[in-house]
Amino acid sequence: MYRLVAILMVLLVSNVFAHGHQEQHDLGEEANSIKASGKIFHTDGLDVIRKMHPEFLNHKRDKTLREGVRTKEGSLKGCVNCHSTKDKKTNQYHPVNDQDQFCSTCHQQVSVSVDCFSCHRTTPRKGTK
Amino acid sequence: MSKTLNRRDFIKTSSATTVGVATIASGITLTSFAVNANENPVTKDKRWGMLVDTNKLTEVEIDGMVSACQQENGWGSEVHSTGDQKPTWVKKLKVQDKATGKITSLPLMCQHCEEPPCVDVCPTNASMKREDGIVLVDKHLCIGCRYCMMACPYDARSFVHEELTDQREHMPRGKGTVESCTLCVHKVDNGESPACVASVNSDAVIFGDLYDPKSNINQTLKKVQSAQIRADLDLNTGVRYSGI
Repeated sequence: MYRLVAILMVLLVSNVFAHGHQEQHDLGEEANSIKASGKIFHTDGLDVIRKMHPEFLNHKRDKTLREGVRTKEGSLKGCVNCHSTKDKKTNQYHPVNDQDQFCSTCHQQVSVSVDCFSCHRTTPRKGTK
Repeated sequence: MSKTLNRRDFIKTSSATTVGVATIASGITLTSFAVNANENPVTKDKRWGMLVDTNKLTEVEIDGMVSACQQENGWGSEVHSTGDQKPTWVKKLKVQDKATGKITSLPLMCQHCEEPPCVDVCPTNASMKREDGIVLVDKHLCIGCRYCMMACPYDARSFVHEELTDQREHMPRGKGTVESCTLCVHKVDNGESPACVASVNSDAVIFGDLYDPKSNINQTLKKVQSAQIRADLDLNTGVRYSGI
């Protein structure tokens, strides 16, 4: 009996560790450089932005579209600009909603479809309008 | 001196203090308003409008306005849509005087009505008018029913029939939603003129605040004869025309 319980415990613990050792995904070009410089962009803490980003984005979309408030805070354009990665061969940006890109990694795991990018641009467009 | 403060005195002194604080506070807010207008919601104090002088505006300039709009907002390169399905935010319209046969060309886009029929009919509140008079589609809420397209007397709205990629950063567009001229709201919020107005080098098209007595558009509208298209509908459009 004790042996059985011990096996069960080992299985449970290994399961927890399996989740703890996830592959580190690329944060995106600009986000990586911000992190490397030691600055913190999401000052409220990563847990807040991870949990609350849909609310932030929804709130900002109404503010911008209906009231004309165009601050950088909570701007989807900002997310895309920071969290996009470039293809090393072609030097072109991957769309952020492509498989295994920044937005998709978590949403794939929790099986949530992202509807932002049926209309919004998926790659940064720096230096142009 | 220990004078007891009665109720009336208390109210007098406290209201005087409140007025003083309010005056200082309003002064402070006014200054911060001026620093960055984008941080504050738009208000009813402004009403954006446009005046098109069809006598001065050439056909080439109208074509230029259409392509400037396409360039700015990224429409017009839809490959799978055919004929009527193709989005048109602004078009060149020719009107003919039956008596003299005189043909006048004019650019026709969303007229940004004060009483927009598209807003009245929208079942999801996606079709909306901003406080400053710009009529927009909230594509987050649009279900693509196209009631607004039927309600618009100017045929100003389009439906996106195909999946799109590589949209402009400032102008999200997608399949299954209705769209129309936004009066280049992203530029207006940054203090610039709409792309079509900027593409015309003369004063044939003027953009500005209809309510501001110092603005060029307000002063010109006071001087010249101008008309609203389908003025009989009493929609009080923001886009006005002179010479028709």
